[in-house]
Amino acid sequence: MLVKDYMTKHPPMAEPKMSVVEVQRQMSENNVRYLPVVGDGKRLLGLITPQSMLIDPRRMASLNVWDITRLLSDLKVKDIMIKIRSVITIDPDTPIEQAAQVMVENRVGCLPVVQEGIVVGVITETDLLDHLSKMMSGNMSGVRVTIRMPMIKGELAKLVGVIAQAGWGIDAMGGALCVKDAKKWDAVVKIRASKEEVVAALSAISSQEIIDVREV
Amino acid sequence: MRGPREVPILQIEQLAVAYATRHGDVAAVRDVSFEIHRAQTFGIVGESGCGKSTVAFGMVNFLGRNGRITGGRILFQGQDLVKRSELELRKLRGDRIAMVYQDPMQALNPAMTLGDQMAEVLIVHRSMKRSAAMERCKQMLERVYMPDPASVMRRYPHQISGGQQQRIVIAMALLNDPALLIMDEPTTALDVTVEAAVLDLINDLQNEFDTAIMYISHNLGVIARVSDEIGVMYAGEMVERADVKDIFARPSHPYTLGLLRCIPRLDTTKRSTTLQPIRGRVPSPTALPPGCIFEPRCPFARPACSHQPIPMREIQPGHWARCLYAEEILEHKDDLSDDMVNIIIGVAPKTDNGGPILRVKEAKTYYPVASKQIIGGQKQYVKAVDNVSMEAMPGRTLGIVGESGCGKSTLVKTIIGLEKLSGGEIEFMGMDISTPVSKRSEALIKDLQMVFQNPDSTLNPSFSVGYQIARPLRRFKTVPRNQVRDEVIRLLNMMRLGENYYGRLPRQLSGGEKQRVAIARAIAAQPKLVLCDEPVSALDVSVQAAVLNLLLEIQQQLGTTMVFIAHDLSVVRFFCDHLAVMYLGQIAEIGPAEAIYLPPYHPYTEALLSAVPIPDPSAEQKHIRLGGSVPSALNPPTGCRFHTRCPRRAMLPDGGAICEREDPPAQFDTDQHRIYCHIPLEELRKMEAVVTIEKEGPHVG
Repeated sequence: MLVKDYMTKHPPMAEPKMSVVEVQRQMSENNVRYLPVVGDGKRLLGLITPQSMLIDPRRMASLNVWDITRLLSDLKVKDIMIKIRSVITIDPDTPIEQAAQVMVENRVGCLPVVQEGIVVGVITETDLLDHLSKMMSGNMSGVRVTIRMPMIKGELAKLVGVIAQAGWGIDAMGGALCVKDAKKWDAVVKIRASKEEVVAALSAISSQEIIDVREV
Repeated sequence: MRGPREVPILQIEQLAVAYATRHGDVAAVRDVSFEIHRAQTFGIVGESGCGKSTVAFGMVNFLGRNGRITGGRILFQGQDLVKRSELELRKLRGDRIAMVYQDPMQALNPAMTLGDQMAEVLIVHRSMKRSAAMERCKQMLERVYMPDPASVMRRYPHQISGGQQQRIVIAMALLNDPALLIMDEPTTALDVTVEAAVLDLINDLQNEFDTAIMYISHNLGVIARVSDEIGVMYAGEMVERADVKDIFARPSHPYTLGLLRCIPRLDTTKRSTTLQPIRGRVPSPTALPPGCIFEPRCPFARPACSHQPIPMREIQPGHWARCLYAEEILEHKDDLSDDMVNIIIGVAPKTDNGGPILRVKEAKTYYPVASKQIIGGQKQYVKAVDNVSMEAMPGRTLGIVGESGCGKSTLVKTIIGLEKLSGGEIEFMGMDISTPVSKRSEALIKDLQMVFQNPDSTLNPSFSVGYQIARPLRRFKTVPRNQVRDEVIRLLNMMRLGENYYGRLPRQLSGGEKQRVAIARAIAAQPKLVLCDEPVSALDVSVQAAVLNLLLEIQQQLGTTMVFIAHDLSVVRFFCDHLAVMYLGQIAEIGPAEAIYLPPYHPYTEALLSAVPIPDPSAEQKHIRLGGSVPSALNPPTGCRFHTRCPRRAMLPDGGAICEREDPPAQFDTDQHRIYCHIPLEELRKMEAVVTIEKEGPHVG
């Protein structure tokens, strides 16, 4: 579960000398919102984001329609891209949660994945969401149960023990600190069994509380 | 899978390529469309001259001076590559698109060490430091499973084997982590065991690098093994395109069906099936038929086919074919009969009594090599053939298979007298023939004839076909002088060439026709034994089927005995009654063809069989890969020559120490089937069959 496992390898790329019109078409053809800008040997030079494609209307206000056309056709990638020194990048060997943290902290939706200055891929919000969906086996059906447990050693083992005893397997599992109570931990488990059986088996654990059960 | 991933890496739309010639533009490729997604392999298959490579060259504009793209779009990640400047294309080729071609030696600089030329890619393209670049190259060589990468990097290209050279080229292509890899017949020049290993490697790397691959090959078996999707090309057009399983299970264009029916398969023999060649030949791009391009050769052609060009249409989701009657093709697959089919049923039921016509006993052919010392020193020998014993029965075919360099050709050349026998005996019809050809009697030469691999180099370009076939007739006085011409015409007819070929020169013939002339010349003298050295390996599959059928017919009519060398195990299985598997100058296993393909196997036979590419994606095959390359015949391993690569050695006590010390004994499975191996027959019998092909499958052929 590292960046290199979830990034898009061989992303479409732009070059600084390309016209913005062409790049705009390339982005829509490839159905992407971010384009790394590279020089020789795929060396990262900048990044095009949806924001860089926005042109301040005030710049256009005094122009007539012909001037606008000319302005647009003369616009090159290097004029609008975010320059390399302001681009936040990430190494392919970083854990995926760390990439998520970098993106959240910097409020960016895309990180070029760079190794020794060379672009090897990009990772976007969509990739992280894909990771989340896979982690929770979003495409599989079963019983999804959320259990709140105290943050004490051995609690999770109790839960797993009960599931193992019932002869079920765990399809997916995730957990996070409880939002409202920092001493509790919420675990989400996906099991292939019937809802009633799961409730019956898991309510036997006295220290834990079933927050939510649903068949998905 | 996800939004952005659904966009193909490469999209080709109605591509047309033309070459300018003295007679105006020749449209070499017309209306070709396909797409390749990330981590997918698109296979392009077709016979020679159908425009496969032109498509590949067109993509990166390597068309040469007279070639140009006349229409269509090539979208690489949304960027149109047509009309790009040379500079932009060069940048793309270096950074994002890589190519691997057939002959690795041409891609490598013979004057630089391998390490230097690999590192050059990184130093030039990425301005890496030399030491860092070298380190990267070493890692990449490890990825392609190159043994001992550090020492390989210090060597020159000629110092490593062909399979390793191709590995280096693949590693070089991957150094820049390309999004698209174009491979044009990358394994065609390699031995079957090496080919299998390289194909495995391509699959592994694709998973790891997420690369889209465009794979071009003429070999349906190879294509079936590597591709996810296949496009079949014919005379410059793509005639069918579908998922790999669909193409083999439900071919919907008559040409695809024809291709599948004319290749021998591992589970067929000449007694169970006949090959059905496609009649006629590929039309020249200057004289294309007005309607369907395949119409002149198509067994199902109807009047509507010749009216106008046929568009490609989707007959099932994802399955495209360029045929008006595509839905009906499969129903008709059984009435695809050729007049030739009826002739070849029940081949040569000759009786075996009377003993073998050819008996080779402990034959040895050694080539002396100059000693490395300047003065004195012991003379060394390359033992090309060492202690080979075998027999050929009259009216039957003996096949010889093995990797290149195993001594197949040398053995045959020794039998015919072109190489000097260094020891042992060769007996032909009871006579000793261990003399070179110059000392043999005319009658003996007449009875022993040979068909060579490459008809181009064995037919004299300045004499007519008729003259060349007549020459042995005159020389050996097979027929009276005044009947020579009639006899030549009879032979030409027998080869299905016709009288009008009499006055033609070799350059006016196609490859298949030349090989037929060469066969006619070999059988003109009515020999008792014909030695065929890879007679079909240089030919396209449809032509190959016709030549094989012809050889079978000759054998049936004249009762000729044949010794048939081939590296293609499916062809040999189809064609031969007996089979000898050779390894490094020695016989590993010999016996009736059916017995060779079933357990007990010699471990080498087992490995060979598991490497054969099978043109059927549903066939199951054991996965055995030999490590390393064939050891040098100058200094062969002691004991069993196969012990250095044998995957089964561990079955013996002490990890097979005996294999290194003692020559393997001949073990008789039946009195005709011998296996030279230390592993007891009972153990060998326990092995499972290497290839299982579903008999009840919907496949044709």
